[in-house]
Amino acid sequence: MLFELAGLTYRYEGVTAIDGLSLAIPEGSRIALLGANGSGKSTLLRLLDGLIFGQSGTITFCGDEISEEHLLDDAFALAFRRSVGMVFQNPDVQLFNPTVFDEVAFGPLQLRWRKTDIRDRVDDILDRLRIGHLRNRVPQRLSGGEKKRVALASVLVLDPAVLLLDEPTAALDPLSQSEMIDLMVEWGGGSKSVITATHELGDLESIADQCFVLDGGKLVAEGRPEAILADTELLRRTNLIHKHRHGHRGSLHSHSHFHGISAR
Amino acid sequence: MSDFHPNARGGFLENTLEGLHSAMERALYAESAAQRDGVLQRLDARVKVAGALSMLVAVALSMKLWVIGAIFALAIALAVTSLITIGALAGRAWLGALIFSGVIAIPAVFLTPGAPVFGSPMTVQGLRTGSFLIMRAVTASTLIFLLAYSTPWSHILKALRIFRVPVVFVVILGMTTRYILLLLETAHDMFLSRKSRRVNRLTPAETRRLAISSSGVLLHKTLHLSGEVYQAMQSRGFRGEVYLLDDFRMRSRDWFATGAFATLAAAFIFLGR
Amino acid sequence: MHIPDGYLSPATCAVAYAAAIPFWRVALGRVKRAMNSRQIPLLSLFAALSFVIMMFNLPLPGGTTGHATGIGLATVVIGPWAAMIAVSVALIVQALFFGDGGVLAIGANCFNMAIAGSLVAYGVYRLVAGRSALGSARRVIAAGAAGYAAINVSALLAAIEFGIQPIFYKDASGAPLYCPYPLSVAIPAMMLGHLTIAGLAELAISAGVVAFLQRSDLSLLRSTAGGVRSHDEAGIQPRPLRSLWASLAVLLVLTPLGILTAGTAWGEWMASDFADPAARREIAAVSFRHAVPAHVPEGLQRLSTVWTAPFARYAPPYIRGALFGYLLSAMFGAGLIVMIFLLLGSFTRSAARLGSDAA
Repeated sequence: MLFELAGLTYRYEGVTAIDGLSLAIPEGSRIALLGANGSGKSTLLRLLDGLIFGQSGTITFCGDEISEEHLLDDAFALAFRRSVGMVFQNPDVQLFNPTVFDEVAFGPLQLRWRKTDIRDRVDDILDRLRIGHLRNRVPQRLSGGEKKRVALASVLVLDPAVLLLDEPTAALDPLSQSEMIDLMVEWGGGSKSVITATHELGDLESIADQCFVLDGGKLVAEGRPEAILADTELLRRTNLIHKHRHGHRGSLHSHSHFHGISAR
Repeated sequence: MSDFHPNARGGFLENTLEGLHSAMERALYAESAAQRDGVLQRLDARVKVAGALSMLVAVALSMKLWVIGAIFALAIALAVTSLITIGALAGRAWLGALIFSGVIAIPAVFLTPGAPVFGSPMTVQGLRTGSFLIMRAVTASTLIFLLAYSTPWSHILKALRIFRVPVVFVVILGMTTRYILLLLETAHDMFLSRKSRRVNRLTPAETRRLAISSSGVLLHKTLHLSGEVYQAMQSRGFRGEVYLLDDFRMRSRDWFATGAFATLAAAFIFLGR
Repeated sequence: MHIPDGYLSPATCAVAYAAAIPFWRVALGRVKRAMNSRQIPLLSLFAALSFVIMMFNLPLPGGTTGHATGIGLATVVIGPWAAMIAVSVALIVQALFFGDGGVLAIGANCFNMAIAGSLVAYGVYRLVAGRSALGSARRVIAAGAAGYAAINVSALLAAIEFGIQPIFYKDASGAPLYCPYPLSVAIPAMMLGHLTIAGLAELAISAGVVAFLQRSDLSLLRSTAGGVRSHDEAGIQPRPLRSLWASLAVLLVLTPLGILTAGTAWGEWMASDFADPAARREIAAVSFRHAVPAHVPEGLQRLSTVWTAPFARYAPPYIRGALFGYLLSAMFGAGLIVMIFLLLGSFTRSAARLGSDAA
């Protein structure tokens, strides 16, 4: 079992962001964490990545507990940080080095890889994501799609077993969005796992085999994408779809729908 | 950067937007100039940093005007061969230095005690002092400009290690520049949106309030971002110690340049004493 | 006041660097201990914030505009040591990357604005704020005063650095090589502009943003609040170090009072006093009319030439104005002592740590 959560609760500044959450994620999964903004899915990702720690309950990764004390242990920390990688929603948070090359090299450097290995590996991953030409550029000047790819490269360079993605298609233009989806589809499967936090329902079926729906920090539903998408009552309750007047081929009406790439 | 500005036709927003724009533009120009194929661009960053510093010291130590002039001529020659235009130099490096030094130096021409020049209120000593001030300011400014615009910023920072600057300091410097650009853009957007919502010019009091609230908002953003960046760093294995990767390799031309800079600096220091 | 290159002699710049470096090291160590590794993004981002604040052209009463550095604000929010580094980094980036301010003068600029500025700001803030509530108006006033004091002390230091240049550094013809204005010109010129314009800008930013924070997020002011008065505080409160700093500052300013005391303290006569009739009369008068030796005692004569103090008699001849010589001496003396103790403190701490690591 990859991740196991039992009664995990996380409170911050008086708000209970995660409330007694229990779930299990097997290896080789492609998971989608669904929920509207504020449902707790970003918080859950950070708990999974050992960046924040709950006040009660437990969370384990491959049987090892993810806790502040445990991460003080060099061996565990090095192994964990390499195995689990996270791409943040806001690229400005993730791109803090002076150049793209430095950014991608940051992870391997902190994990004490050999310098010659690092250079080769960085060049390799930059080519694979087709951003080799951005090697010496300053992250600030890149477009949204390029920034996302650099962020992805900076994580994939470590070849993690688990990829955590926080709203990966947010603020991207349609072309970049579809490229992102392609990358995610390519990556998952086999021994690698992808856990995506999103409120975009458009490409759910391509990126996930299993969905967990969060609302108010609690798990309110889980199941295959088709089942979740069919449950319109659930989707409306959790604010994942909405109803407002819009146009269809010249006439105005309203019905439940969501906005996404593959609009239905 | 002078602290004294007469409140000319531009109000706060205009002046600040202009300041922000020129700062961002400078950053942009720095990136492109560093990628041209000139003499300086081909040298190792460490050589350039050490060279610039030794020349700066020579300029500062010199007690003879002509030595400073010689260093200035050398700097111009390096600029030209590094495909940095005189126009860029004039606009970016010299203008500020001349204005600021001019303000300080011109009164000195009259106020410095000494032998009068042709019976005018100017003194010989005053003229010499004024010349020293202006020439030193302009030459120093040119040298720094040459360094900054022929070398990618990240390389300059990593080269500071030759002066035993701690790694953590170098990392902080690098991260700061990267986030200055972000905060400049955020501030720029805040002011632009404020400007577009207003028909009349803001009163001084309103402008002050805008500056203060913008600073407050930026401060919040700063603190929020720093927490997030810390998490992003941790996520990729950062645990307290930072490590740098540099691509520095001394080639024969770098050794030659080192020798040349060292000899020239020593000569200038000797001649200028 | 960002000092450019060419105004300070290399020797002055070197001394300034030598003064700044120990403070930077102590500050980095303290911040690291307080925040662990969190300090890297925090310092970087605060440095970026300071840089951006430095770009704001603030309109002030009277029709002028001025720039603030944000040192007062930074000190109140993240503490003096972190503020010291953040503003230093902003100044360094300004000089190297944007060409504002000299490179050789970085040591002096950082010492004046970031180091002295943050310490002064902190002392004044704690002194004026006392133990008032975090959201009180007194805190806003304290922050404003802190910023104002900090920038003016910075300006004074810069003015002193400028003003001593023509004393020491002239070429063969007598033309000053660097800043040509003596203290009598530099100090009024700098202080006028800062007491009125730059000081007000700093005051506005410090006070204004602290007031803003009181409404938006009070907890941000907690780290430098010291002991906020509360009901259930039992036990002995260790005397805050900061009030000692403040007292030192007050004492420094009062040192010229020493000039008022006439004559030389008992036993502090120079070898030459024994030859001077007027001094001899004075020595006899304070020594219960004991006979004064006709010649200089041999031991005194021998030892008096061993060491010539750089600041002889607290007022070297080249500093006009005894009052000012006194004040300068007091500041340098106190500063030297403080630095020595800080250095000793940092060494003993690292020694203690080494000792505990080895144990």
